[in-house]
Amino acid sequence: MKCIITIELGTNAVRIFAFDLNGVTIGSMKGYYPTFHSQPDYSEQDPEQIFITMLYVLKNLLNEYIHPKKYTVLSVCFSSSMHSTLAVDKHGIPLGNAFTWADNRAKKEAIEIKESTLADTMYNSTGTPLHPMSPMLKIAWLKKNDSEKFQQAGKFLTIKSYVVHQLTGEYMIDYSLACASGMLNIHKIDWEPEALAFAGITTDKLPTLVPVFATAGILKKAYQNSLGLSADTKILIGSSDGCMATLGAGVWNNDRATITIEDSSAVRVVGKKMLHDEKKRVFNYLITEDCFVSGGPSNSGGGTFEWFAKQFGDFSSAYDLDSCMNSLLQEASKVAAGSSGLLFLPYLLGERAPIWNPDARGMYFGINIKHERQHFIRATIEGILHEIYSVGKMLNEHRHISALSVNGSFATIPLCAQIIADMFNKTVYVTKNTNSVGIGAFLLAATEMGIYNSLDDAAAQTEIAHSYTPAENQHRVYQEFFGIFESLSHKLGDEFGKIAELQGRG
Amino acid sequence: MNSSLLTPSAAELQLFPHIIELGTIKNTCIDLNAFPVVTISGIKILHVLDGKFQWCLNKKEYIFYPGDVALVLPGQIFGSSNGVLEIGSFSFLHIAAKWSRGEIFWDKWSSLSASERTAISKILLLNDPLLITRSNDVGKIIKSIQQEISNQEVGYFARANIYIDEMLITLARQLTRQNNPGRDFSKTFMKLEEALRGDISHQWTVDEMAALVGLGNTLFNEKVKSYSGFTPLNYLINIRITEAIKLLKKDTASITSIALDTGFYSSQHFSTTFKKFTGFTPAEFRKNNSYAK
Repeated sequence: MKCIITIELGTNAVRIFAFDLNGVTIGSMKGYYPTFHSQPDYSEQDPEQIFITMLYVLKNLLNEYIHPKKYTVLSVCFSSSMHSTLAVDKHGIPLGNAFTWADNRAKKEAIEIKESTLADTMYNSTGTPLHPMSPMLKIAWLKKNDSEKFQQAGKFLTIKSYVVHQLTGEYMIDYSLACASGMLNIHKIDWEPEALAFAGITTDKLPTLVPVFATAGILKKAYQNSLGLSADTKILIGSSDGCMATLGAGVWNNDRATITIEDSSAVRVVGKKMLHDEKKRVFNYLITEDCFVSGGPSNSGGGTFEWFAKQFGDFSSAYDLDSCMNSLLQEASKVAAGSSGLLFLPYLLGERAPIWNPDARGMYFGINIKHERQHFIRATIEGILHEIYSVGKMLNEHRHISALSVNGSFATIPLCAQIIADMFNKTVYVTKNTNSVGIGAFLLAATEMGIYNSLDDAAAQTEIAHSYTPAENQHRVYQEFFGIFESLSHKLGDEFGKIAELQGRG
Repeated sequence: MNSSLLTPSAAELQLFPHIIELGTIKNTCIDLNAFPVVTISGIKILHVLDGKFQWCLNKKEYIFYPGDVALVLPGQIFGSSNGVLEIGSFSFLHIAAKWSRGEIFWDKWSSLSASERTAISKILLLNDPLLITRSNDVGKIIKSIQQEISNQEVGYFARANIYIDEMLITLARQLTRQNNPGRDFSKTFMKLEEALRGDISHQWTVDEMAALVGLGNTLFNEKVKSYSGFTPLNYLINIRITEAIKLLKKDTASITSIALDTGFYSSQHFSTTFKKFTGFTPAEFRKNNSYAK
């Protein structure tokens, strides 16, 4: 029997899945790793801890599900969160921790480039919004603020490139993650000289650019032995978690969009061309030469609702967040759409798409004497989803969206999926397998193997478990409130800036 | 002043050399220069009964209201910054204890086991501020100790000491509950991670780790496993190996000293565990990743 293993190096944990060649899950395991916030705006992870966690979880998964049943592992396909940046010395040894996607230390660099004449040409060539998340800006930050580390750096990697280098000795980066670095010219599929110049580096400081289907070298002998894998097991470089979640949701080259809501969220479409947004709000990540995943990321999502639950939910026993959130959802479902006119702006962590304002902050608006606890619960959920709707609306300016596919732990909650259907007034599909990132990576590996002719074919394999039909009357209610939601999120720009500054002081 | 105070010279305390002071202060008028900031030896516990006090505890100012407890650890400074003793009353207990090598030690009068002592000492040292709000339990225990010692009924020696243990246990539990309200496990887990990394050479036990976050062992194991995918001990080993890898790559320290610095019993223990996690022995790993020229 043959199998494919997928390894997702996610924001908080590594998740490893084993699939048979029909895409049926044989087993899965996860291992958590921490994120360190030594200062506001800093968000770091320990690359050695990520590597060792990945290795240990992989080994346990193989020993528990794969080796006892004598499966042959044909390939191991990687995916990872985007925008991580890790400087290593000339021997490949990490120079401190990796900066994660959520690291905002390069704020000044982002403003500098946004206000420069480079802004337009840079967005046109890289297709990536200019935001502190971008590794190009993080490297520029290092150059200015930690010149010792910058000078010592032999390479600037992503976490995935580092993990793969540990396993095979090769330095590689796939097209989609390279896009997320803000330094790839997506039309020429090569590093963009202007972006490298801004970062202050040359191509030799970056890993080798390869397609998502590339084999990233051969597993080192010692790991072949300790893991019980052979030299024939292909190590596939794979893609990013966002692109894989889109592929795994079965949305590919049609007029459907995917909505992924985990802690944070994103709305994405796939097409043959870059979506050129004049306001530079839309990201465009290249998967293959003629395939772009375009969309907008939001900082709000399940994490925002978790914040609410932790502050205002009832905990019957210590740390039982799940049952606390379930009872909140039940209460919310008893309130009519629109929460009797209570609105919530979910900008607890600032916001990326569509307003791209790191200083944005949260707010309840329209509170009156009749509002009760359950209105606040429902308003919180609706606020998170109004924000998703506004990202979708932005994409709809570029491409007609006729249906939606949702995934991620928050979006697939039935109440949320129904609200999404009502807000967009479009049918919402939920795929059978909720682990879209793993499925996406499986489909990529299976395509590489020739099981499917193309990613389009592969995406067509995903099965739909449920669908939610929009209710016209609810849609009208949401539309009315959304108008106020949208104008508030734009009108409050100055106040957001002032309050963020005061909060930053202390 | 209408107060009671026992000091080591008191006849009642002859059997209790570990009690430095035990008493209740009732202050009816503002007393200048009566409560200066001093360095405290041993552990001092104060429970406010009445009034409002502004005290400086470990270099920070706090306001104590009735029911609040100030816990001062060996070597910390404590008192009123302007020296003033405000109107009100409080009871207190001051016991002998020493701080050394990141742990607080107290004598054999205590019937707490060695690992319980370590766990309690860790909790006291790792929590800040040492202001415990609304803890009338602590007040009751001080009162019970006072009664045992003044009434001297049969078994009072044993019972008073049991109450002091009870006090330390109560303080430790309340501190962890106060600082880990049972809502945000990711935050609690991060605190644990920091504590482990902060003292990775220590031989942490599951009891100590669970106590630190204020959970019983069973619930602790379950929560850590579902949150991290690891058992608590495997998570700890994971951190040890992570740190060991960094040291091995640096190519300076000997493998034995890396083993001990990262909390393994011996280089043998290090070697087998390291191999189990990575597939390499530490020596092989170093050779594979060695760039020494």
